[in-house]
Amino acid sequence: MNFIHCFKGEWIKKKRSLAAWLVIIGGFFTPAIMIAIALYRSSATRAALLKKEYWTNHWLNSWESIAMFLLPLGIILSTSLVTQIEFKNNTWKQLHTSPQTFTNLFLAKLSVIVLMLLQFFLLFNLGTYLSGIIPILFIDDAHYPIANIPWKDIFYNSLLYFITSLPIIAIQYLVSLQFKNFLVSISVGLGLWVASIAGLAWKYSYMLPYSHGSLYYLKLSGRLLRPIPVIEMALAYFIIVIIISYILYITKKEKG
Amino acid sequence: MYCIETQNLSYRFSQEQQVLNKVNLQVPNGSIYGFLGPNGAGKTTTLRLILGLLRKQAGTISIFGKPFFENRISILQNIGSLIESPSLYGHLTAVENLRIQQVLYQCPKSRILDVLNTVGLSNTGKKKAGQFSLGMKQRLSIAVALLHNPSLLILDEPTNGLDPNGIIEIRDLIKKINRELNITILISSHLLSEIEKIVTHVGVINKGNILFQGKLSELQTKQNLGASIQIKTNNNIAAVNMLEAAGFPAVLDHEKIILPKIQEAQIAALNIQMVQQNIEVYQISHHQNDLESIFIDLINL
Repeated sequence: MNFIHCFKGEWIKKKRSLAAWLVIIGGFFTPAIMIAIALYRSSATRAALLKKEYWTNHWLNSWESIAMFLLPLGIILSTSLVTQIEFKNNTWKQLHTSPQTFTNLFLAKLSVIVLMLLQFFLLFNLGTYLSGIIPILFIDDAHYPIANIPWKDIFYNSLLYFITSLPIIAIQYLVSLQFKNFLVSISVGLGLWVASIAGLAWKYSYMLPYSHGSLYYLKLSGRLLRPIPVIEMALAYFIIVIIISYILYITKKEKG
Repeated sequence: MYCIETQNLSYRFSQEQQVLNKVNLQVPNGSIYGFLGPNGAGKTTTLRLILGLLRKQAGTISIFGKPFFENRISILQNIGSLIESPSLYGHLTAVENLRIQQVLYQCPKSRILDVLNTVGLSNTGKKKAGQFSLGMKQRLSIAVALLHNPSLLILDEPTNGLDPNGIIEIRDLIKKINRELNITILISSHLLSEIEKIVTHVGVINKGNILFQGKLSELQTKQNLGASIQIKTNNNIAAVNMLEAAGFPAVLDHEKIILPKIQEAQIAALNIQMVQQNIEVYQISHHQNDLESIFIDLINL
């Protein structure tokens, strides 16, 4: 029960925070761009709507920018912002003198970040669906797609994209809990992300912790054919880094 | 029984930097304990150790008669604290800030309005805590500390940075809390004058060592012991000789003679004697050390 109380407290804190806005804006950003593109290329959109693979292609196109750029950057920012709430407001000391175990406090904050990611996925998928039908209202002679929405695939792929995002959460969480300066966690995040993008062509690119989302997208779009353990590696990274992060957190000499 | 008791509490940030040296703090139940010392004396470090914000290195800490680290959760359930600057979420309102604490401490929701009334912040509405004045922030922080009806309140320099009105407000609030809610309060400050009107007990710390600890009345006794008579004449050397011959331990200090406190009749007799010996007496005054100077004397020992 105490974990629930901690979680509730953490959830209230993110109200009106930049991290909370980032989830909403990030979730609808790509769908908005997709609508603009569909309206700009209205004849191509009209033709695409008639294809059986309309929804599959629409989702795949939407995921491209998300998986490669926006999702890693969004996670880097929002994870750092969640812990920054305590540093910025000088509230670690208040939190650490509340009658809660450090384990609960650690897990509650992490759970809020994970739930925010789920919230993002929900908004993004909703936005992607809307971006698939809104152009119909504005394009002459455009009709509702004949293709069925592949809900099962969407759910499955979202789940796997979610797993590929976990190492980024874990590393950002570790760094942002240890360093008061917001720039440290942002710099580490951006550095690792750039390294991952640069190393995508590398044989062992799946060893790079921020590359898993991009690799999964490349695999799904058929641009990466060799078998690589992306999901397994992402889960392993997440578990190991979270354990290290927890140990560093509870053994920290000064707690506010 | 003591509400807080530390034994041989020592702490160092590095090998060279000993911050606390065998501190034995004893805060009686129901008291308002003023923890005094200049900046850097070790007050905040002591309070952070007591609250578990710093990992203990040597010594023991007991709160409510129980060892702190073995009973951390149950002890913290009964402590409210304000360490240094206010700890508030600037993007949230006063009610939302209190709501977080209400959830963490699992106290009734009605307490939020109660404590806002106690600190006089019930009309802040949708205003974010980040837009509050420093005085309002301090009051809200005290409301946060009071929310769960603690038995012990630890306030680290709660009047820091406040204007004179703000200081008076916080002082009155602390007195009210102690009187009406019967809460033990440990309050630190670097100025005795700031808290001498509200405390019942005093502890003085400097360079990590406790120099004095006891009731305020004991410090006031020291104050009386430190009282003196000061005399100015046209011939201080002759006057000192005369006073010493009469059995008074007179000391010449710059332009005046200092004597320990004596009876008024004795002062009159000495005056007559000096005049009879052709010493012109310009001034005889009674000088009483204020608590602040005793405090300064203690920390300059």
